[in-house]
Amino acid sequence: MFNKARTLKDILWFFVFFGLVAIIFRLWFGLGATTNLSDSVPWGLWKILNMVAGVALSTCGFTIGFLVYVLKIEKFKLLVKPAILVAFLGYGSSCFALLLDIGLPYRFWHPLIMWNEHSFLFEVFWCVMLYFSVTFVEMLPNILEKYRFRRTVHFLHKIAIGVVILGITLSTLHHSSLGSLFLITPYRLFKLWYSSYLPIYFFTSAAGCGIMFIILIKILYAKLYNPVPLFGEQNNGKTSIFPLNKNVGRIHIREYGKEMPVLSSLSIIGASLLGIYLLLKIFDLFRLNLWSTLFAGTWESWLYIIELLLTAVLPIILVINERSRRSPYGLGTAAFSASFGLALNRLDVGILGYFRDAGTVYFPSLAEWSVSIGVIAAAGLVFLFAAENFSIFDEQWKVYKISKGIFKASFDSISRVWQTALQSGLHRATIIGVFAIPIAFVLMYPQYKIENEANVVPASGFNTTRSILIINSTKPGMSTIFPHLKHQNMLGKDTSCILCHHMSMPNDKSTPCSRCHRKMFHKTLIFNHEMHKVWVAQKRKITGFHPENKTCTICHKSGLPKNLNSAVGCLECHSKDMNIADTLNLPKQFLYADSYFDVMHKKCIGCHKERKAQVKKPNLDQCSNCHKNYYRENKIDKFLTLSR
Amino acid sequence: MDAILVDVTKCIGCEKCVTACIEKNHLNLEKSYFDRETSRDGLSADRLLSIKKIEEGRYARYSCMNCLDPACVSACIVGGITKTKEGPVIYDPDKCIGCRYCMLACPFHIPRYEWNQTKPFMKKCNMCYDRIIENKLPACVEACPQKAIIFGDRIKLLKQARSLINNNRGKYLNHIWGQKEYGGTCVLFISDVDITKLGWPNKPTVPIPEHTQPLIKETPVIGLTVGGVLIGLNWLVKRKNELAAENNKAKNLTKKEKAKSNVQ
Repeated sequence: MFNKARTLKDILWFFVFFGLVAIIFRLWFGLGATTNLSDSVPWGLWKILNMVAGVALSTCGFTIGFLVYVLKIEKFKLLVKPAILVAFLGYGSSCFALLLDIGLPYRFWHPLIMWNEHSFLFEVFWCVMLYFSVTFVEMLPNILEKYRFRRTVHFLHKIAIGVVILGITLSTLHHSSLGSLFLITPYRLFKLWYSSYLPIYFFTSAAGCGIMFIILIKILYAKLYNPVPLFGEQNNGKTSIFPLNKNVGRIHIREYGKEMPVLSSLSIIGASLLGIYLLLKIFDLFRLNLWSTLFAGTWESWLYIIELLLTAVLPIILVINERSRRSPYGLGTAAFSASFGLALNRLDVGILGYFRDAGTVYFPSLAEWSVSIGVIAAAGLVFLFAAENFSIFDEQWKVYKISKGIFKASFDSISRVWQTALQSGLHRATIIGVFAIPIAFVLMYPQYKIENEANVVPASGFNTTRSILIINSTKPGMSTIFPHLKHQNMLGKDTSCILCHHMSMPNDKSTPCSRCHRKMFHKTLIFNHEMHKVWVAQKRKITGFHPENKTCTICHKSGLPKNLNSAVGCLECHSKDMNIADTLNLPKQFLYADSYFDVMHKKCIGCHKERKAQVKKPNLDQCSNCHKNYYRENKIDKFLTLSR
Repeated sequence: MDAILVDVTKCIGCEKCVTACIEKNHLNLEKSYFDRETSRDGLSADRLLSIKKIEEGRYARYSCMNCLDPACVSACIVGGITKTKEGPVIYDPDKCIGCRYCMLACPFHIPRYEWNQTKPFMKKCNMCYDRIIENKLPACVEACPQKAIIFGDRIKLLKQARSLINNNRGKYLNHIWGQKEYGGTCVLFISDVDITKLGWPNKPTVPIPEHTQPLIKETPVIGLTVGGVLIGLNWLVKRKNELAAENNKAKNLTKKEKAKSNVQ
């Protein structure tokens, strides 16, 4: 049992170190470099998983408070302390993750002074902040009673009921408001998840799943430290998954520990809250008539069904069934399913539901996962520390600890913390840190560093004749070797400068590579037909008299009219040359460029018309101004030639 | 209230307005070229205005619509975005904490974030508010060679647009985009092709804040009600327990008396 806790702690430490490295990267390199967030998906894992889902799972603080302090159901009293601890840590870790998520963390206090009472986020901020303080006040007696602060503890106990009522009110407000946050996106959120009932959904599901979550915590604690109150006295020191005593004809339910009935009756409350949630959801499907969307077979519909099954249906079935309700395993499964389903629901509403509208998919980067899990792991470590050192779960914890020999756990009482930490806990943590930090550093170092404007340098010669240049390509800071001479020759020697250096945009120094090296399924006069004939003949080694005349059918399928539409796309042959466009992963609508004709005629002429008055050249906007040689010298190539 | 009227039939897609915008706002020109290709509507933190191609030969401007009842204003946690009486929706970087709720709230996907900065801010078109105050035209309007973008009082522009549509029957579709959509916007469009591809809704719809404002007004009421109900419940349960305890005591007493009498 002790080893289990110890292994868990080691794993948690590992994640904490990973998260620490990610936090340093996030603060040093900024939000954009370390996360996969974009303008299309502005809210990511930290906000949705840590904040919205994390806070929702920490509702046990107020639900148990309501049952014990307001309704005065005495039997749940043993859950008060763990519930408050979970709430405090849940809210604390959420706020910490949120602090990293906002773009300017040092301004987190702004909403205190600058008010916008029309914003639900503002309401959430105030309620979460106040409720976090409330959980801290509720936490205090548990910590202080270990030391000699009797007066303070007495005072805190006196005001307990007021604090609890304040906490419940705040919780009701902010849990529904977390749902209302998404009310402002009626055309962006996928319609299965968008509903005007979102605040009610969020409140009921959070309350129900919060109760299931504290059951899960209680069972996990029992599994780690002290199984007797829940699992009962074990025979042979072993527990099987379904330990049933079979009698003839009838199955007798095994007797579990004395605290198990309390959890069972609590789970009924949680399951009935989830039942309300489920009924509301089904009613809403009728109200908005979404059945066709629900069974449309899209990934959203499957996700919705799975999420609803996990959050509500499976836990309710497991709780209704008496055999599974009475066993810690059945109840644990129900609690885990509800908690997991809740987190999935929040991710759906906050992130996944926006994908269809955004047109892109977001998957969190490694740094995002590390911070998310690291913060949760840190909260878990504090939780274990508190569970071992303060009588949170067990009044006789200390006695039990000594009798079982758990006294040398990696954490101990404050007075001995250095002694024991150096001996066991910190020692192990250091070893883990030595391994974890370099791994995290290597894995998460941002792929590209942010380059300032100053670092965008003009092209420099690669060799003395400057036929090959090093240019800053499409992304600042990532240089490319650009064979200038080759391009010049390919595009038509002297007449070609204009193709890149004055193409479509005013103030254009040169054209970005992606302008030409994209998937050219479209007519652009970057394609040189005459030259292609010669190149293709050379490449395919076609011999004979005028070999270029035999190349037609290589690009144009025989039997079809020989025009642009019947021709083979550029990418068919030039897939290697166009790897720049391939790696860019451009959205489909950007693969098609305006043709050169369009660009030149529509974009040049406008400027030319305007400029002719300024530069006092009245024929600046006439055709012959550009197509000079065609008219004068009767050249075959009627397209733009060099005009001076 | 000032507004911008875009005549889609006149726009040739020369992007002079974009360049003027970039110059006026001191944005990174080279980055903006790249963003033109990569972002889905051509907007980025270095490109606050873009020209979208609707179909062959038809272009339309895409930028902040400066709604009359903007979603971002109601969403901003610190009140850093405000709707001015001149028309533009302006952003105050000194207040911003970087929560990016405005980006989520905007139905047009307009606000952009400086993802490549360590101290990032939100960026969006503010209709050149500083120039409007000085009685100058916005940079994009001034730059347009085709006079496809007109700046003026919103009501007058609407009248002008209506007369344009009525006088040139068949040239324009009988609809002014931005008149009613999302409660009305300060960037109006008239066109001969359907510009719903640009991100407009198909039908005139209510302003986005209408979805949240009725509820948020109720918040103090809900809070007080919940608090009151809790105090009431607490009192009831307390009273019930007291009564039960008294009853128990009374029963115990009577039992004891009975026991006594039995003994006697």
